[in-house]
Amino acid sequence: MIIDPSHGGDDKGVVFAPHVFEKDLTLSVARLLRKELQDRGIAAHLLRDSDFSIPLERRAELCNQQRPSLYIAVHAGEPGKGVRVYTPILPAAQQSVNGFLPWEAAQAPVLKNSNAIAGAVTRELKKKDIKALDMKAFLRPLNNIVAPAIAVELAADRSDLHSLESARLQTAVATAVASGIAQARNQLGARK
Amino acid sequence: MIPRHFQITISFLLAAILIAGIFIITLRHSEETKTQQGLAAGPQAPEAQGKEETIPVLVAYDEDMALRWRKTEAFMPDERDLRARAALRAVLAQYQQSPSPHPLANGADIKDVYLLNDDTLLVDTTAPFADGHPSSVVLEEMTLTSLIETLAANVPGITRVKFLVDGKERQTLAGHVDLMNFYQLSAVHELAKEFE
Repeated sequence: MIIDPSHGGDDKGVVFAPHVFEKDLTLSVARLLRKELQDRGIAAHLLRDSDFSIPLERRAELCNQQRPSLYIAVHAGEPGKGVRVYTPILPAAQQSVNGFLPWEAAQAPVLKNSNAIAGAVTRELKKKDIKALDMKAFLRPLNNIVAPAIAVELAADRSDLHSLESARLQTAVATAVASGIAQARNQLGARK
Repeated sequence: MIPRHFQITISFLLAAILIAGIFIITLRHSEETKTQQGLAAGPQAPEAQGKEETIPVLVAYDEDMALRWRKTEAFMPDERDLRARAALRAVLAQYQQSPSPHPLANGADIKDVYLLNDDTLLVDTTAPFADGHPSSVVLEEMTLTSLIETLAANVPGITRVKFLVDGKERQTLAGHVDLMNFYQLSAVHELAKEFE
Protein backbone atom coordinates (compact mmCIF):
# COMPACT_ATOMS: atom_id res chain seq x y z
CA MET A 1 0.00 0.00 0.00
CA ILE A 2 0.98 3.61 -0.46
CA ILE A 3 1.27 6.10 2.39
CA ASP A 4 1.26 9.73 1.31
CA PRO A 5 2.68 12.21 3.83
CA SER A 6 0.85 15.31 2.60
CA HIS A 7 2.60 18.54 1.62
CA GLY A 8 6.42 18.83 1.64
CA GLY A 9 9.13 21.20 0.40
CA ASP A 10 7.79 24.71 -0.18
CA ASP A 11 4.29 23.47 0.55
CA LYS A 12 4.35 23.57 4.34
CA GLY A 13 0.67 22.79 4.85
CA VAL A 14 -0.71 24.14 8.12
CA VAL A 15 1.78 26.38 9.95
CA PHE A 16 0.99 25.56 13.58
CA ALA A 17 3.86 27.65 14.99
CA PRO A 18 6.92 29.36 13.47
CA HIS A 19 8.80 26.05 13.18
CA VAL A 20 5.99 23.51 13.39
CA PHE A 21 4.66 22.61 9.97
CA GLU A 22 2.06 20.10 8.85
CA LYS A 23 4.50 18.67 6.27
CA ASP A 24 6.87 17.49 9.05
CA LEU A 25 4.14 16.04 11.26
CA THR A 26 2.69 14.08 8.33
CA LEU A 27 6.08 12.60 7.47
CA SER A 28 6.69 11.60 11.07
CA VAL A 29 3.31 9.85 11.37
CA ALA A 30 3.68 8.25 7.93
CA ARG A 31 7.01 6.67 8.91
CA LEU A 32 5.48 5.28 12.10
CA LEU A 33 2.52 3.93 10.15
CA ARG A 34 4.83 2.24 7.63
CA LYS A 35 6.63 0.47 10.47
CA GLU A 36 3.37 -0.64 12.10
CA LEU A 37 2.06 -2.02 8.80
CA GLN A 38 5.32 -3.80 8.01
CA ASP A 39 5.23 -5.36 11.50
CA ARG A 40 1.84 -6.80 10.48
CA GLY A 41 3.24 -8.20 7.27
CA ILE A 42 1.75 -5.51 5.02
CA ALA A 43 4.12 -4.00 2.45
CA ALA A 44 3.92 -0.23 2.68
CA HIS A 45 5.78 2.49 0.79
CA LEU A 46 5.95 6.22 1.35
CA LEU A 47 5.26 8.56 -1.54
CA ARG A 48 7.93 10.85 -0.11
CA ASP A 49 10.46 9.95 2.56
CA SER A 50 12.12 13.36 2.82
CA ASP A 51 11.21 17.01 2.54
CA PHE A 52 10.24 17.73 -1.06
CA SER A 53 7.15 18.91 -2.82
CA ILE A 54 4.99 16.72 -5.08
CA PRO A 55 2.07 18.29 -6.97
CA LEU A 56 -1.30 16.75 -6.11
CA GLU A 57 -1.91 15.42 -9.63
CA ARG A 58 1.52 13.80 -9.59
CA ARG A 59 0.78 12.13 -6.25
CA ALA A 60 -2.26 10.47 -7.83
CA GLU A 61 -0.26 9.44 -10.91
CA LEU A 62 2.57 7.94 -8.83
CA CYS A 63 0.09 6.03 -6.72
CA ASN A 64 -2.00 4.76 -9.65
CA GLN A 65 1.10 3.56 -11.52
CA GLN A 66 1.88 1.21 -8.64
CA ARG A 67 -1.67 -0.22 -8.39
CA PRO A 68 -1.59 -0.44 -4.60
CA SER A 69 -4.22 -2.18 -2.47
CA LEU A 70 -4.78 1.05 -0.51
CA TYR A 71 -3.78 4.71 -0.65
CA ILE A 72 -3.70 6.54 2.64
CA ALA A 73 -2.96 10.26 2.86
CA VAL A 74 -1.74 11.64 6.19
CA HIS A 75 -2.69 15.15 7.26
CA ALA A 76 -2.51 17.22 10.43
CA GLY A 77 -4.79 20.13 11.05
CA GLU A 78 -6.95 22.28 13.23
CA PRO A 79 -9.41 22.77 14.85
CA GLY A 80 -10.53 19.94 17.10
CA LYS A 81 -8.95 17.01 18.83
CA GLY A 82 -8.21 13.39 17.97
CA VAL A 83 -8.23 11.98 14.45
CA ARG A 84 -10.52 12.61 11.49
CA VAL A 85 -10.75 9.82 8.93
CA TYR A 86 -11.84 11.05 5.49
CA THR A 87 -13.31 9.23 2.53
CA PRO A 88 -13.89 10.91 -0.83
CA ILE A 89 -17.15 12.34 -2.12
CA LEU A 90 -17.49 11.85 -5.83
CA PRO A 91 -18.54 14.85 -7.89
CA ALA A 92 -21.57 13.05 -9.40
CA ALA A 93 -22.61 9.80 -11.00
CA GLN A 94 -19.92 9.60 -13.67
CA GLN A 95 -20.24 7.46 -16.76
CA SER A 96 -17.20 5.70 -18.11
CA VAL A 97 -16.45 6.53 -21.72
CA ASN A 98 -15.22 3.56 -23.77
CA GLY A 99 -14.13 1.89 -20.55
CA PHE A 100 -12.25 4.98 -19.31
CA LEU A 101 -13.40 6.72 -16.14
CA PRO A 102 -13.12 10.50 -15.89
CA TRP A 103 -10.03 11.51 -13.88
CA GLU A 104 -12.24 13.17 -11.28
CA ALA A 105 -14.14 9.93 -10.69
CA ALA A 106 -11.30 7.40 -10.79
CA GLN A 107 -12.28 6.45 -7.24
CA ALA A 108 -15.86 5.44 -8.16
CA PRO A 109 -15.44 1.65 -8.60
CA VAL A 110 -13.69 1.22 -5.23
CA LEU A 111 -15.51 3.79 -3.10
CA LYS A 112 -17.34 1.07 -1.14
CA ASN A 113 -14.03 -0.44 -0.07
CA SER A 114 -12.68 2.98 0.87
CA ASN A 115 -15.70 3.47 3.15
CA ALA A 116 -15.26 0.02 4.69
CA ILE A 117 -11.58 0.65 5.44
CA ALA A 118 -12.32 4.09 6.91
CA GLY A 119 -14.96 2.52 9.15
CA ALA A 120 -12.53 -0.13 10.39
CA VAL A 121 -9.82 2.47 11.08
CA THR A 122 -12.26 4.70 12.98
CA ARG A 123 -13.41 1.76 15.13
CA GLU A 124 -9.83 0.82 16.00
CA LEU A 125 -8.98 4.41 16.95
CA LYS A 126 -12.01 4.56 19.25
CA LYS A 127 -11.05 1.22 20.81
CA LYS A 128 -7.73 2.83 21.76
CA ASP A 129 -9.62 5.73 23.36
CA ILE A 130 -8.59 8.15 20.63
CA LYS A 131 -11.39 10.51 19.63
CA ALA A 132 -12.16 9.66 16.00
CA LEU A 133 -14.58 11.01 13.41
CA ASP A 134 -15.46 9.37 10.11
CA MET A 135 -16.07 12.16 7.60
CA LYS A 136 -16.51 12.81 3.89
CA ALA A 137 -14.29 15.31 2.13
CA PHE A 138 -13.62 16.91 -1.23
CA LEU A 139 -9.96 16.34 -0.48
CA ARG A 140 -7.49 16.20 -3.33
CA PRO A 141 -6.29 13.79 -4.67
CA LEU A 142 -8.58 11.11 -3.18
CA ASN A 143 -11.02 11.19 -6.12
CA ASN A 144 -8.20 10.59 -8.61
CA ILE A 145 -6.97 7.38 -6.98
CA VAL A 146 -7.94 4.06 -8.60
CA ALA A 147 -7.34 2.05 -5.39
CA PRO A 148 -9.37 2.34 -2.18
CA ALA A 149 -8.36 5.69 -0.69
CA ILE A 150 -8.69 7.31 2.70
CA ALA A 151 -7.04 10.18 4.55
CA VAL A 152 -6.30 10.42 8.26
CA GLU A 153 -5.83 13.79 9.89
CA LEU A 154 -4.43 14.34 13.35
CA ALA A 155 -6.37 17.25 14.75
CA ALA A 156 -5.45 19.74 17.44
CA ASP A 157 -6.11 23.29 18.40
CA ARG A 158 -3.16 25.67 18.24
CA SER A 159 -3.23 25.93 22.04
CA ASP A 160 -2.81 22.16 22.30
CA LEU A 161 0.07 21.85 19.86
CA HIS A 162 2.24 19.71 22.14
CA SER A 163 -0.26 16.84 21.78
CA LEU A 164 0.27 16.77 17.99
CA GLU A 165 4.03 16.66 18.40
CA SER A 166 3.88 13.97 21.05
CA ALA A 167 5.59 10.77 19.88
CA ARG A 168 3.26 8.83 22.16
CA LEU A 169 0.12 10.09 20.43
CA GLN A 170 1.62 9.69 16.96
CA THR A 171 2.59 6.08 17.74
CA ALA A 172 -0.82 5.31 19.24
CA VAL A 173 -2.54 6.69 16.12
CA ALA A 174 -0.21 4.80 13.77
CA THR A 175 -0.82 1.55 15.70
CA ALA A 176 -4.60 1.96 15.62
CA VAL A 177 -4.68 2.92 11.94
CA ALA A 178 -2.46 -0.05 10.99
CA SER A 179 -4.62 -2.37 13.06
CA GLY A 180 -7.79 -1.05 11.37
CA ILE A 181 -6.25 -1.52 7.92
CA ALA A 182 -5.16 -5.08 8.76
CA GLN A 183 -8.68 -5.94 9.93
CA ALA A 184 -10.33 -4.37 6.90
CA ARG A 185 -7.93 -6.25 4.64
CA ASN A 186 -8.93 -9.54 6.24
CA GLN A 187 -12.64 -8.74 6.01
CA LEU A 188 -12.50 -7.54 2.41
CA GLY A 189 -10.32 -10.52 1.50
CA ALA A 190 -12.82 -12.88 3.16
CA ARG A 191 -15.73 -11.33 1.21
CA LYS A 192 -13.96 -12.00 -2.08
CA MET B 1 30.58 87.37 6.27
CA ILE B 2 27.59 85.92 4.38
CA PRO B 3 25.70 88.58 2.43
CA ARG B 4 22.24 89.40 3.80
CA HIS B 5 20.39 88.59 0.55
CA PHE B 6 22.02 85.14 0.56
CA GLN B 7 20.91 84.53 4.19
CA ILE B 8 17.33 85.49 3.28
CA THR B 9 17.32 83.13 0.26
CA ILE B 10 18.67 80.20 2.33
CA SER B 11 16.05 80.88 5.04
CA PHE B 12 13.25 80.82 2.45
CA LEU B 13 14.59 77.60 0.95
CA LEU B 14 14.82 75.88 4.40
CA ALA B 15 11.28 77.03 5.25
CA ALA B 16 10.01 75.73 1.89
CA ILE B 17 11.70 72.35 2.47
CA LEU B 18 10.19 72.15 5.97
CA ILE B 19 6.67 72.98 4.74
CA ALA B 20 6.94 70.49 1.84
CA GLY B 21 8.13 67.78 4.27
CA ILE B 22 5.21 68.36 6.62
CA PHE B 23 2.81 68.33 3.67
CA ILE B 24 4.19 65.01 2.35
CA ILE B 25 4.03 63.35 5.79
CA THR B 26 0.43 64.50 6.28
CA LEU B 27 -0.57 63.30 2.82
CA ARG B 28 1.04 59.89 3.34
CA HIS B 29 -0.64 59.46 6.72
CA SER B 30 -4.03 60.32 5.26
CA GLU B 31 -3.55 57.82 2.36
CA GLU B 32 -2.49 55.05 4.78
CA THR B 33 -5.57 55.67 6.90
CA LYS B 34 -7.78 55.52 3.81
CA THR B 35 -6.16 52.23 2.68
CA GLN B 36 -6.53 50.63 6.12
CA GLN B 37 -10.17 51.68 6.30
CA GLY B 38 -10.74 50.18 2.88
CA LEU B 39 -9.13 46.85 3.84
CA ALA B 40 -10.88 46.61 7.18
CA ALA B 41 -14.20 47.08 5.51
CA GLY B 42 -13.89 43.62 3.90
CA PRO B 43 -16.31 42.85 1.12
CA GLN B 44 -17.45 46.11 -0.42
CA ALA B 45 -21.19 46.36 -0.21
CA PRO B 46 -22.60 46.04 -3.69
CA GLU B 47 -24.55 49.00 -4.94
CA ALA B 48 -27.99 48.59 -3.47
CA GLN B 49 -29.87 46.81 -6.25
CA GLY B 50 -33.18 45.06 -5.87
CA LYS B 51 -35.20 45.20 -2.72
CA GLU B 52 -34.09 44.49 0.80
CA GLU B 53 -34.97 40.94 1.86
CA THR B 54 -34.42 38.72 4.85
CA ILE B 55 -32.45 35.77 3.49
CA PRO B 56 -31.15 32.54 5.02
CA VAL B 57 -27.35 32.18 5.18
CA LEU B 58 -25.45 29.11 6.37
CA VAL B 59 -22.74 30.36 8.72
CA ALA B 60 -19.61 28.43 9.77
CA TYR B 61 -18.65 28.44 13.44
CA ASP B 62 -15.04 27.32 13.88
CA GLU B 63 -15.25 27.02 17.64
CA ASP B 64 -17.64 24.06 17.54
CA MET B 65 -17.00 22.96 13.93
CA ALA B 66 -20.62 23.56 13.02
CA LEU B 67 -22.67 25.20 10.28
CA ARG B 68 -25.87 26.93 11.34
CA TRP B 69 -28.60 28.74 9.42
CA ARG B 70 -29.02 32.40 10.27
CA LYS B 71 -31.21 35.18 8.86
CA THR B 72 -29.72 38.38 7.52
CA GLU B 73 -30.86 41.43 5.57
CA ALA B 74 -29.53 41.89 2.04
CA PHE B 75 -30.45 43.76 -1.11
CA MET B 76 -31.45 41.01 -3.53
CA PRO B 77 -31.74 41.83 -7.24
CA ASP B 78 -34.13 39.89 -9.46
CA GLU B 79 -31.45 38.67 -11.93
CA ARG B 80 -30.27 35.23 -10.78
CA ASP B 81 -26.53 35.89 -11.22
CA LEU B 82 -26.66 39.17 -9.30
CA ARG B 83 -28.85 37.50 -6.69
CA ALA B 84 -26.23 34.76 -6.32
CA ARG B 85 -23.48 37.33 -5.83
CA ALA B 86 -25.53 39.22 -3.24
CA ALA B 87 -26.21 35.98 -1.32
CA LEU B 88 -22.52 35.00 -1.34
CA ARG B 89 -21.50 38.45 -0.15
CA ALA B 90 -24.05 38.24 2.63
CA VAL B 91 -22.26 35.11 3.89
CA LEU B 92 -18.83 36.73 3.65
CA ALA B 93 -20.14 39.77 5.52
CA GLN B 94 -20.87 37.43 8.46
CA TYR B 95 -17.21 36.38 8.48
CA GLN B 96 -15.95 39.97 8.43
CA GLN B 97 -17.72 40.80 11.69
CA SER B 98 -15.73 41.19 14.84
CA PRO B 99 -15.47 38.78 16.56
CA SER B 100 -15.79 36.54 13.51
CA PRO B 101 -17.26 33.04 13.78
CA HIS B 102 -15.00 31.96 10.89
CA PRO B 103 -12.25 34.50 10.16
CA LEU B 104 -11.24 35.05 6.54
CA ALA B 105 -8.50 37.34 5.20
CA ASN B 106 -9.07 41.02 4.61
CA GLY B 107 -10.12 41.46 1.02
CA ALA B 108 -11.76 38.01 0.78
CA ASP B 109 -14.63 38.78 -1.57
CA ILE B 110 -16.61 37.67 -4.59
CA LYS B 111 -15.43 39.44 -7.74
CA ASP B 112 -18.13 38.15 -10.02
CA VAL B 113 -20.43 35.26 -10.78
CA TYR B 114 -21.27 33.77 -14.16
CA LEU B 115 -24.42 31.76 -14.76
CA LEU B 116 -24.05 29.03 -17.41
CA ASN B 117 -27.00 27.13 -18.89
CA ASP B 118 -29.25 28.35 -16.07
CA ASP B 119 -28.02 25.65 -13.67
CA THR B 120 -24.25 26.09 -13.35
CA LEU B 121 -22.58 28.92 -11.51
CA LEU B 122 -18.95 30.01 -11.84
CA VAL B 123 -17.92 32.02 -8.78
CA ASP B 124 -14.86 34.21 -9.24
CA THR B 125 -13.30 35.08 -5.88
CA THR B 126 -10.60 37.61 -5.07
CA ALA B 127 -7.02 36.42 -4.55
CA PRO B 128 -7.09 37.06 -0.77
CA PHE B 129 -10.10 34.73 -0.48
CA ALA B 130 -7.79 31.78 -1.24
CA ASP B 131 -4.30 33.18 -0.51
CA GLY B 132 -5.28 34.25 2.99
CA HIS B 133 -7.55 31.31 3.82
CA PRO B 134 -6.48 29.20 6.81
CA SER B 135 -5.00 25.91 5.61
CA SER B 136 -7.17 23.15 7.09
CA VAL B 137 -9.35 20.41 5.61
CA VAL B 138 -12.25 21.22 7.91
CA LEU B 139 -12.05 25.01 7.70
CA GLU B 140 -11.76 24.96 3.91
CA GLU B 141 -14.76 22.62 3.66
CA MET B 142 -16.80 24.77 6.00
CA THR B 143 -16.16 27.88 3.88
CA LEU B 144 -17.19 26.24 0.61
CA THR B 145 -20.16 24.40 2.12
CA SER B 146 -21.53 27.55 3.73
CA LEU B 147 -21.27 29.44 0.43
CA ILE B 148 -22.76 26.68 -1.74
CA GLU B 149 -25.62 25.87 0.64
CA THR B 150 -26.48 29.57 0.91
CA LEU B 151 -26.56 29.76 -2.89
CA ALA B 152 -28.88 26.76 -3.07
CA ALA B 153 -31.24 28.34 -0.55
CA ASN B 154 -31.43 31.69 -2.32
CA VAL B 155 -31.05 30.91 -6.01
CA PRO B 156 -33.22 27.91 -6.87
CA GLY B 157 -32.29 25.85 -9.89
CA ILE B 158 -28.50 25.94 -9.42
CA THR B 159 -27.14 22.38 -9.47
CA ARG B 160 -23.39 22.87 -10.00
CA VAL B 161 -20.92 25.41 -8.67
CA LYS B 162 -17.26 25.98 -9.46
CA PHE B 163 -14.89 28.43 -7.83
CA LEU B 164 -12.21 30.47 -9.56
CA VAL B 165 -9.59 32.60 -7.86
CA ASP B 166 -8.92 35.94 -9.49
CA GLY B 167 -10.28 34.62 -12.78
CA LYS B 168 -8.15 31.45 -12.82
CA GLU B 169 -8.58 27.82 -11.85
CA ARG B 170 -6.77 26.70 -8.71
CA GLN B 171 -6.16 23.14 -7.47
CA THR B 172 -7.21 23.68 -3.86
CA LEU B 173 -8.60 26.44 -1.68
CA ALA B 174 -5.69 26.45 0.78
CA GLY B 175 -3.82 23.21 0.23
CA HIS B 176 -6.56 20.67 0.86
CA VAL B 177 -10.06 21.06 -0.50
CA ASP B 178 -10.62 20.67 -4.22
CA LEU B 179 -11.31 23.73 -6.38
CA MET B 180 -10.90 21.99 -9.75
CA ASN B 181 -14.22 20.16 -9.65
CA PHE B 182 -17.70 21.39 -10.28
CA TYR B 183 -19.44 20.93 -6.94
CA GLN B 184 -22.73 19.07 -7.25
CA LEU B 185 -25.25 20.50 -4.84
CA SER B 186 -26.55 17.05 -3.91
CA ALA B 187 -23.06 16.04 -2.72
CA VAL B 188 -22.64 19.29 -0.80
CA HIS B 189 -25.98 18.71 0.97
CA GLU B 190 -24.57 15.38 2.12
CA LEU B 191 -21.43 17.05 3.41
CA ALA B 192 -23.37 19.84 5.16
CA LYS B 193 -25.15 17.21 7.29
CA GLU B 194 -21.80 16.33 8.89
CA PHE B 195 -21.55 19.87 10.28
CA GLU B 196 -25.08 20.08 11.70
